[in-house]
Amino acid sequence: MPLRNADVMKFLAVWEMVHEMADEGMKASIERGKTTEKGEMASDPGAFVDGLAAIIDEKKDAIKAELIEGKDAEFDKDDSATARAVDEVRFEVAELRGKLESMSATLDAIQAKL
Amino acid sequence: MNARKRRRQIFWIITKHWWRAAVESRFGFVGITVRREVFARELRFAFEKLGPAFIKLGQLISIRPDMFPPQYVFEMENLRDSVTPTPFEEMKPVFEEELGKPAEELFESINPIPIGSASIAQVYKAKLAFDYKPVIGEVLPAGTDLAIKMVRPGSEEKIRGDIAAVTPLVNTLHKLKPLKRFNMPQLLQEFADSITSEIDLRIEGRTSDRFAFDFIDDPYVTTATIVWPQSSKSILTMQFVEGWHLHESDQATAAGVDARFLAIHGADVFMKQVMVVGRFHADMHQSNLLLTPGGKICYIDFGIMGEVKEEHKEAIAQILAATVYADAKRAIQYSADIGLIVRDSEREEVIGKVSALMKRTFSKSPRDVRGFAIGFLSILNEQRVVVPRGFGLLVKALVVVEGCAQTVYDDIDIVEAAETFTTELVLKHMLRPARLYKKLPLAIDAAINELIG
Repeated sequence: MPLRNADVMKFLAVWEMVHEMADEGMKASIERGKTTEKGEMASDPGAFVDGLAAIIDEKKDAIKAELIEGKDAEFDKDDSATARAVDEVRFEVAELRGKLESMSATLDAIQAKL
Repeated sequence: MNARKRRRQIFWIITKHWWRAAVESRFGFVGITVRREVFARELRFAFEKLGPAFIKLGQLISIRPDMFPPQYVFEMENLRDSVTPTPFEEMKPVFEEELGKPAEELFESINPIPIGSASIAQVYKAKLAFDYKPVIGEVLPAGTDLAIKMVRPGSEEKIRGDIAAVTPLVNTLHKLKPLKRFNMPQLLQEFADSITSEIDLRIEGRTSDRFAFDFIDDPYVTTATIVWPQSSKSILTMQFVEGWHLHESDQATAAGVDARFLAIHGADVFMKQVMVVGRFHADMHQSNLLLTPGGKICYIDFGIMGEVKEEHKEAIAQILAATVYADAKRAIQYSADIGLIVRDSEREEVIGKVSALMKRTFSKSPRDVRGFAIGFLSILNEQRVVVPRGFGLLVKALVVVEGCAQTVYDDIDIVEAAETFTTELVLKHMLRPARLYKKLPLAIDAAINELIG
């Protein structure tokens, strides 16, 4: 049977309806999660999902705020393995400098005794 | 005092306190928990009388719940580690000996009266003589207040002398059947090894720098900056940090510091140390933490650190999540991944006991983590389950974190405080690409079964 225009439209409508329902469900879950007292997440699976939705929503708002401020998003910063590696090396160099400074003082002490 | 005399002194002091404990516990006719508490308390009193080596030994026991019953482990936390300070005149030669210059030349000024004195070291206050760029953080300008931690001359020799004196005694005690499982000769050897690293303050300084680097992005965490040109094996010079101890949190709050937030954040910092960084401050008692006027938690004294292997992080995250959600079965299941093996024949019994313990300790608010830890370790002890050292240290550290947080606010529930962080972390671990790759076929199978089943 050939695919009719009406079928495509119906599929898209159903698709949109699913999204709408999921969106409303998510929003309701977030609202419930926000009113959940801390510690209540463990009470039942429903409370856990609501609490989790609220946590994710908080994270979303934080990312949104960072984007508005023009800052790099948190995940960009975290995921930057290169930047972390550079920081790591920079720290090791500074640490080495600290060691050298301490060793230099020890050398001074030995020299003073000679 | 020669070794034989000292050995006799040690023997008599311990015997006296053992006898006192025996009488108090009606020669064993009280419950095992009370009996252990009484003996642990008397052993602590004996250690306090016997001096620095035994205070250090007690501190070692306090971080080994894998070897000792929990009553001993938690009693040793109360050891009073204060000794009469050595006069500054006797400490002064150490500066020239190790840094090549007298104290007056090394610092702008130094106060000869110590601000702290413990079994091995004492601390002086001084002022920095020049600008210094530390390993981490901003330049310290000349005139900055400093704290100088110095190992007391002769400390190492005294401790090693005590170790030599007790070695024959320990070897004899090890032959007694009831004491065999404590493996005291091994503990003594471990103690001797740990003294080497405690005496070398450079190790502590480097750990402090590393901790500062690990938490460089956390605006609420700080450490005392190390001044390396004035540091050596027996001298650790660091920035003097102004602040309030945890029991003075009322004063911090009055000065505008959000002490409650910091207490909760402290629990998150601990979780991050364990599950993200993989190194944790394992000696976090109250005097090693300060609340600063700038609204930060300052961590000091990095003498004892615990390590978490990369491959154990997920299991620990799962165990913590299982604890948060009071799921004993899951906690025992994931404990096996870090070496805590419960025999199959005893698994159900242990799960039942842990579950009952969780109900008892976690049903009230705030949850009683200390009660849970003591009960949990006691169950493992009764069932003769071997507790891996790292696991024991972790449980102990978690209890100490709770103690610290509750000093600030006694109604703080650290399990609740860590709930968001632990949940996020478990999700992060669960959504790792490698894990998903492993689990996806199983999930698809399950989904197909659900749809067509």
